[in-house]
Parts: sequence; structure tokens; C-alpha cells
Amino acid sequence: METLLTKKLDKTLIIGIGNNTRQDDGLGWCFLDALEKEGYNTDNLLYKYQLMVEDAETISYYDTVIFVDASKDNLKNGFSIEPLKASSKFEFTTHSVPPNQILNLCETVYHKTPKAFVIKIEGFKWNYKILLSKQAKLNLKKALLSFKKLSK
Amino acid sequence: MKTKKIIIDPITRVEGHGKVTIKIDENGKVTNAYLHIVEFRGFEKFIQGHPYWEAPVLVQRLCGICPVSHHLAAAKAIDQLVGVDPENLSPAATKLRRLLHYGQVFQSHALHFFYLASPDLLFGINAPAEKRNIVAVAEANRELAKKGILMRKFGQEIIKAIAGKKIHGIMATPGGVQKTFTKNKRSYFLDGTQIPNIDTMIEWSQEIIDFIKSYHAKNSNWINHFAAYPSNHLSLVNKENGALEFYDGRLRSIDFAGNELLNIEDIEYKYHFKEAVEPWSYLKFPYMLKYGRENGWNRVGPLARLNTCAFIPTPLAEAERIIFKQQSNNSVNNMTMHTHWARLIEMLHCAELMKELLLDDELLSDDLIREGISRNRGIGIIEAPRGTLIHEYHTDNQGIITKCNLIVSTTHNNEAMNKAVRQVAENILTDVPEITEPMLNQIEIAIRAYDPCLSCATHALGEMPLIVEIEDNNGNLIDKKIR
Repeated sequence: METLLTKKLDKTLIIGIGNNTRQDDGLGWCFLDALEKEGYNTDNLLYKYQLMVEDAETISYYDTVIFVDASKDNLKNGFSIEPLKASSKFEFTTHSVPPNQILNLCETVYHKTPKAFVIKIEGFKWNYKILLSKQAKLNLKKALLSFKKLSK
Repeated sequence: MKTKKIIIDPITRVEGHGKVTIKIDENGKVTNAYLHIVEFRGFEKFIQGHPYWEAPVLVQRLCGICPVSHHLAAAKAIDQLVGVDPENLSPAATKLRRLLHYGQVFQSHALHFFYLASPDLLFGINAPAEKRNIVAVAEANRELAKKGILMRKFGQEIIKAIAGKKIHGIMATPGGVQKTFTKNKRSYFLDGTQIPNIDTMIEWSQEIIDFIKSYHAKNSNWINHFAAYPSNHLSLVNKENGALEFYDGRLRSIDFAGNELLNIEDIEYKYHFKEAVEPWSYLKFPYMLKYGRENGWNRVGPLARLNTCAFIPTPLAEAERIIFKQQSNNSVNNMTMHTHWARLIEMLHCAELMKELLLDDELLSDDLIREGISRNRGIGIIEAPRGTLIHEYHTDNQGIITKCNLIVSTTHNNEAMNKAVRQVAENILTDVPEITEPMLNQIEIAIRAYDPCLSCATHALGEMPLIVEIEDNNGNLIDKKIR
């Protein structure tokens, strides 16, 4: 992430993706909860179960978009922050649309290309419970710390 | 020629996971074809042991696409558990629930038409697979894609304004609704300063109907005959006058020729319907007891609703219904691909109904909840976007759910979709030298017309790529294609 963020999140949208009733799948939402507690502008924090085609319109109004999601991948340090490029590859359903396809749709329909990043946080447990696993909590802490270093 | 088995897995551009198996004998003839629903549903069991008032919240998790439909069907059932029948709900609560429901149907139909169905219509069934998606639609017709996004957004915003969230919001409470509408919220949808207003939604709905009419004029042979077959049709209709009805009415079924098979109070459904099971699918097969498993199944959804209703009670949609009926000589329309057309007429109807309600001051009333004498059984039936949705709950004297039965729209359409798959497979795959990807897409087009929500009908698990496998009689792999 090249630019420093302010807590006002000017022209920046942070989208937490997941489901807090499925344990670590709620990491994206917990990330936003933590930012809210820190005083970040809640108008620019968006909670989503899944991304849908109309999110292409939503992100077209912002200069920067950050997607935060739980990951099943084994990640170095338990999290990663990576730039995101648009992709034209489409999935077999629209039940959920990956962030790179939302970016592509935004470019195609609205001729806008917000800078985009993905924060992946490694999760471990996915049962029907509103409770993060211990390891996931730790990874969330590390991801937040790293993210906040980029903020003023 | 060896016997072949073709598997389409998963079916694309539908909501959820399913697969198709087609068996071809040594003479090149299709001997059988099945639509398998490979997901497992556990909601009916899962919900047992919970207090009744949790049901409208819990059942929303059945689906991220139509949670509102499940919320409202459960709410109607739970109203009865607290002794409140639909006619005894306060006018404000009924109107708020209806507005929520019309917003849901509007956004769901927009999603299906623009994102799932339109690639087939715009680019044709022989278009390469990589072109059959929304980005290709957007590249070919940017304005159409933009309108599709904004129409879906409008419906989603209605849901958010009433339920608090676009997905899995909560508005209904036993015997009513939690909160009223505000003047500010009403202005948001009427003044057009922040989003295109309700009049624009009506105008765009008419434009999209013009598109499908013009498409039909150019492709009438295909659209009239593809996957068309006679069937029964089932939906709710208005209790007083038989008009198109989404929220509360009588259950009416007619046969392929228009003869009435059923016209009952919705809460009597369990005396008239039974569900069969097959070993190759997690999805059940509902049918009318009186007519048996073979002849008693129904189609549900937009095409069925336009067949069973006497008229549409809003002027613009009714004018379009009359034109639509002329396509089947004012008789029952059994042409599967006309479901897309019917869906768009329903979008226009919902837009007209939303306008009526947005202009109704009763939405601002704070008379929201009614009470009655508790009962131990509640049945809620509504017309979800995909068709008739049934929720039934039984409780003990402490209000704990002891039994739950859900018949979702896609379940009603199970037999119809299987019939469509068999018919298309027989027509396009018999005696062909090579089975091509566009041929297999035609199988999916037939299923897609029903807009099945397979996760809703069952429960989603895992992810699968699209794999088509052709096997010989002994199950040996001859060919494999991955999308």
C-alpha cells in the first residue's frame, strides 16, 4: 500500500468479507470492528457476506479499495497485504464474485480503476459459532498492527 | 459406438451447485438424463430445539440471494404461532412487509436476467464459453449492464431501508414488524437525487420488456420451442379476485390446458401435497396427492404465476400480460423460455407496486404489532422470486420448535427441470458425431430458465470446477473437458 491512510478514510473503502457465525470466516468483519473501535470512519467500512455484481458500482466512487477476507492458505506471518489486479476470469455462479472480478466489472462498466489491495488473514476453524480461534485472533492482531502502520 | 455417460458438473450461472448426468446408448440415443442436486440441506433438523421467534432470523441463512423470502415466509408462520393471521396484521405492518417483498423480487429478477440469462440471449447459444458472462455483456452493451446493476441496487436499497441490511436484515417480528418507515427514506426512493427513482425503475422495466419482445420477434422459433412441454402450474393467487399475488393468497394449480386442479386455502397445503425422494438427488419431488407422483407435479415461478392468475392488478404490467398471453393464443403458456419474459413483466409489476406503497402514508404509521392467542402450528406461504415457498413450524407449549417443514421454490421445479434436461438432451445429443460445449450449454440454458437456487433448496458445501466427463459403458473415461 503506497499511500498513508487517515482515519477519515478519504476516498478509501474497506470491505470486510465473511460470516461471523462461521468462526474464523468472520475475520474480515472482526478487522472492521477493530478499525471502528480505533475511530476509523465507519461510513467507509462495508460488511459483506459475499461480493456481488453491484459492488462494482459501489467501488467506482472510491480511489482506493481494500478487501479484507479470511484465508485457508498457509500465510507467512499469518496474514498478507497485496495489491490486486482486475481479472476477466469468471466463476460458474454469481452467488459470490471474487474481488478481482469486481474490479474488472468496475473498469468495464464504469471506466474507473480504483487502486485495490487484498488483506488475507489466515483462519483455522469454520464451524457454526460466533468465536474466532486463538490462532486467528493472533493473526488478526498482526494484520491490524501492520495495517495501522500505514495509517496516520 | 460405446455407451457414454456425460456429466456436467457444476451447472454454470445458477445459484448453487448441481450436476447433470446424461447416458447415451451404443446406438447414439440418449437413454436418460438427470439433474442431481449434490448439496445437502440440514435446516429442517437444525432449527428444531430453537425458540419460535428465532425462526425468521435463522432461516434467512438458507440463502444469500433470497433471505427476505425465507424471512417473510417464516414470519407469516410465526405470526400464527402468536395467534395472528395475515388479515389481522396491522395495515402498516402488512404494507411494510409487502414493500420489502417486492424489493426482493425486483432485485432477484434483475440479478437473474442481467447476469445469468442475458449472456445466452445476447450472444446466442453457440457463443464461446468465455464470452458468456456479465463482463462480455457489459463490453457489448454497457448501458444495459449499468441499468441491470442499478435496478438490482434499487431493490437492495429498499431491503436495506426496511430491514436495516441488504442481506440477512431483520424486520418482521411475531405479529408485525419492528420499525416504521420514515419520510427521509421515502424521499430517497422518490426524488431521484441519490439513486435513480422509482419512476426510472418503471421506465427501465418497460425498456427491458421491449428488449425481450424484440428478441422474441427475431428468435420466436427457438424461444417458443426450446425445452417447451406441457405441465401443471402452481402459485398463490389473490383470495378475492384471482389476481397475481406474491405475499398472501390461495394456492391454485392448473393443468397444461388450463383446467383447475387445485384451489385451496394456503394453510391446507399439507393435505394436498406429498414429497417423493430419489436416491440420486438431495432435492425432493413435491406432487399433488390427488394426481399422484407421475401427474401431480407443478412448475412454479414467473411463468406459472402468469398462467394461474386471472390478471395483474397494476396497469402497465397488465397491458404486458395481455400481449404475453397472445403468444399462447390466450391459453396456458407452456413455453419454458417464455419464463424470462414473464419474469420481466413481474419486475414491472413489482416496480408499480413499490411506487404505490412508497406514496402510501400508512407506511409511516407506528401501528406495527398485533397480539393473539398462542397456537402450536404455523404455516407461512409466499411467492418467492423463483416460486411458491412454504414454511411450516410446530412448537411445544414452551414455544420451542419441535418440527419444521420447508418446501422451497426450486424443490417444486425439480421434476420440471429434470424433464427439461431430458428433453433437450434427447433433442440435441441423439445421433450427433461430436458432442460440443455449446450443446452442453443448451442443457444448462434449460435449467437456467427456472433460475434454480440450489443452495436454497439444499445447503452449499465446497467449490467445484466445471468438468464434463464422457465415459464408456464400463465407466472408463473417454474424454474430459474442464471449463
